[in-house]
Amino acid sequence: MGAPASLARLDGAHKNFGKIAALDGLNLEIHRGELLALVGPNGAGKSTAISLLLGLQRPDRGAAVLFGEDPQSIDARRRIGVMMQEINLSPVMRPREFITQTASYYPSPYDTPAVIKRLGIEKIADRPYGKLSGGQKRQAQFGMAICGRPELLFLDEPTVGLDVQSRGALWQVVRDLLHEGCSIILTTHYLEEAEALADRVAVIDRGKLVAAGTVEEIRANVSRKSIVCRTSLSIETMRAWPGVQQVSEKAGRRQIVTQDAETVLRLLLGADSGVSDIEVRAAGLGDALAELTRDDAPGSLQ
Amino acid sequence: MNSHNASMSGSRLFAAYLGDIRFELVKMLRTPMFAVPTLLFPLMFFVLFGVVMGSARGNGQQSLYAFASFGVLGAMAPGLFGFGVSLAFEREQGMLLFRQAIPMPPGSYLLARMVMAMIFVALSSLALIAMGLLLAHMPLTPGQCAAFLAINVFGVMPFCALGMWVGTLVSGQAAPAIINLVYIPMSFLAGLFIPMEVLPAGLRQIAPLWPAHHLLQLSRAEMGLTSMGSPETHVGALLGVTVLFFSLAMRRLGGRGIRLFGGAGARPGIGLPLRRAVNIGVFWIGVGLVIAGITGNNAPRAATKAAATSNDAGGSVPDASGSSAPVGVAAPDQPVIADFDAGGATASYGLGFSASDDKMRGGDSSAAQKVVEGALEVSGQVGTAIQYPFAGTSFLPNGAPGIDWARQGFMDYSRRQTLSFRARGDGREYMVMMMGPALDTIPAMYNFVAGPDWQQVRVPLKDMASIDLQRVKLISFGTMAPGAFRFQIDDVRVE
Repeated sequence: MGAPASLARLDGAHKNFGKIAALDGLNLEIHRGELLALVGPNGAGKSTAISLLLGLQRPDRGAAVLFGEDPQSIDARRRIGVMMQEINLSPVMRPREFITQTASYYPSPYDTPAVIKRLGIEKIADRPYGKLSGGQKRQAQFGMAICGRPELLFLDEPTVGLDVQSRGALWQVVRDLLHEGCSIILTTHYLEEAEALADRVAVIDRGKLVAAGTVEEIRANVSRKSIVCRTSLSIETMRAWPGVQQVSEKAGRRQIVTQDAETVLRLLLGADSGVSDIEVRAAGLGDALAELTRDDAPGSLQ
Repeated sequence: MNSHNASMSGSRLFAAYLGDIRFELVKMLRTPMFAVPTLLFPLMFFVLFGVVMGSARGNGQQSLYAFASFGVLGAMAPGLFGFGVSLAFEREQGMLLFRQAIPMPPGSYLLARMVMAMIFVALSSLALIAMGLLLAHMPLTPGQCAAFLAINVFGVMPFCALGMWVGTLVSGQAAPAIINLVYIPMSFLAGLFIPMEVLPAGLRQIAPLWPAHHLLQLSRAEMGLTSMGSPETHVGALLGVTVLFFSLAMRRLGGRGIRLFGGAGARPGIGLPLRRAVNIGVFWIGVGLVIAGITGNNAPRAATKAAATSNDAGGSVPDASGSSAPVGVAAPDQPVIADFDAGGATASYGLGFSASDDKMRGGDSSAAQKVVEGALEVSGQVGTAIQYPFAGTSFLPNGAPGIDWARQGFMDYSRRQTLSFRARGDGREYMVMMMGPALDTIPAMYNFVAGPDWQQVRVPLKDMASIDLQRVKLISFGTMAPGAFRFQIDDVRVE
């Protein structure tokens, strides 16, 4: 009885809120031992996808499966850890108490002092939650998420409000957990977070999966480049060139966005012998995302 | 690594439930906004009304009434606030959803809160018992103390359910205000702070709507005090309120995807019709019990004088509700009871008017009457020795001279609409009272002002229906307000 390769998955999940389709047939799968980053613009359906996987909402159509079970089953939930985005814990209780309470729900949790030590939050462990800074609150919540020795960890925007140092520390714990065999699903606004941690990235837009793969694969999928230069040509002239998507002028430098940099460069050099300071930039993950989730973006690249 | 055992041992599960209770208790003890009013207010009020004012009047009864009242007050707050306010906050702040994502044991959230509320009630009840024994020197038996504790501790449940329902409706910011709007008026309307008799008839009649009323009457009966209705009705009504509001709250939460019992929610399949049938059944059972409690037997019950020896309660206590007593004789056709024109205080039937006071019940009020110019004049002094003093004049519609109260007959006025008379006096407020089988009970009352000029007073008998109109033993005119009084009545009719 080998464990299923996928720990959690959505199969063609549809979810509507009124007339708005939050999820439009989303397929998603988390494999054992990987960190999957869920990225996409606001309102893309990331939170809804997480809600379905946690059993907090039901798909209208399609299925959500957690450890081969209904996500609402308590046995499945005993194998996950959860850090949610918008929750306020009781201001009079302390991180140590929250962690101890949460740990008591799991079959074989870590000791509370070990969790506190691992996160380096000894100083705030016995301070009332209401007196903690936003970042310290996130650290306490992270402690609650990992204390149950989860096989699968859900982290929804874990580093919002953390200073650079605390963020680095949290990333280190995340990497250690991955080494220990924990699988992680992470949503984030910080693309550098996805680039730093993720084995795989799933790009969601308008309730659909538009791309999935390693960070390099996502980047490679995107042919968009930007050419920056100084030129006397008019913006209108350049807009008429084939393959040009955008032309703009910033601080005396012209920026041309295109999927066919070679053709545009030939045209540019041919039309303006005085062109200078030419620079060609490859797309970062951010550019890739911007392209993948553009209004006129083609369908799934998967 | 692959063979993960997700099952919890029984002892770990038990520890998780226990841990949640402890967590909830610590949390509430650290929340002064909750702990102070919950624990201190009942004690404060008891010291004021039961100890200071009770002993100033040298009256053990007063202390006992305050004891019962503030025990109930102590049971209301932890349920209403503990469930209502925190549920509203946690619902708003995402905590309820978060708890559902983590493997909190099924029902632990509700259980922890309920046990927390019960512990708070137990603390306030125990403190009241200690004060009652040590400061008010009340002669409480161990049995009474245990009953007091049990009634209040279990009595918190309808308030938990009610608070929970409010908590599902309003925002966290609004919750304290809304809960107070339930808590404070209900304490007054159920007679925790002021005797019910002071309230207008309309408010008195709707008292069975309030769970606090039922709890108070249960507690009073157990303390050997005057109470209304039967314990079965009260327990039924309290259970009904609990079931009804709990199922309303769960339905509302369920509609928002919140399952406090954990486990898989309703899914299409064979289980669904059954689950739905159970839900609907539970809801209507609650409605039925509440209606039974509201419309059920609410007749006054005599104080059991066996209070000091409550262990042998039972057979010796008369059927105070009187429901098994024979119906009174039908009222004569003639409407006039007395016009006092013949110079005496006689009536056209029954035992005529005679001055009456509260000395039989241990009071120190006095009354005298005489016929003046074809009207009956009553005057005297109302004392303060007992909780419900009275002085005035009384008429026994089916009474006979020379027999004791218990054997006086009943008159059936159930087919009559109005009691009318003319009145004038010193400008104070007076009341007409009609009483059923037992003497030391809460009569039906109707207030009127006797001003300097003659004035016609018409009492709709439907306003007096808190007693059984088929078994009227006594009609009185008088006052409960301490001080000297003088009034005249004339031309008394029932038609």
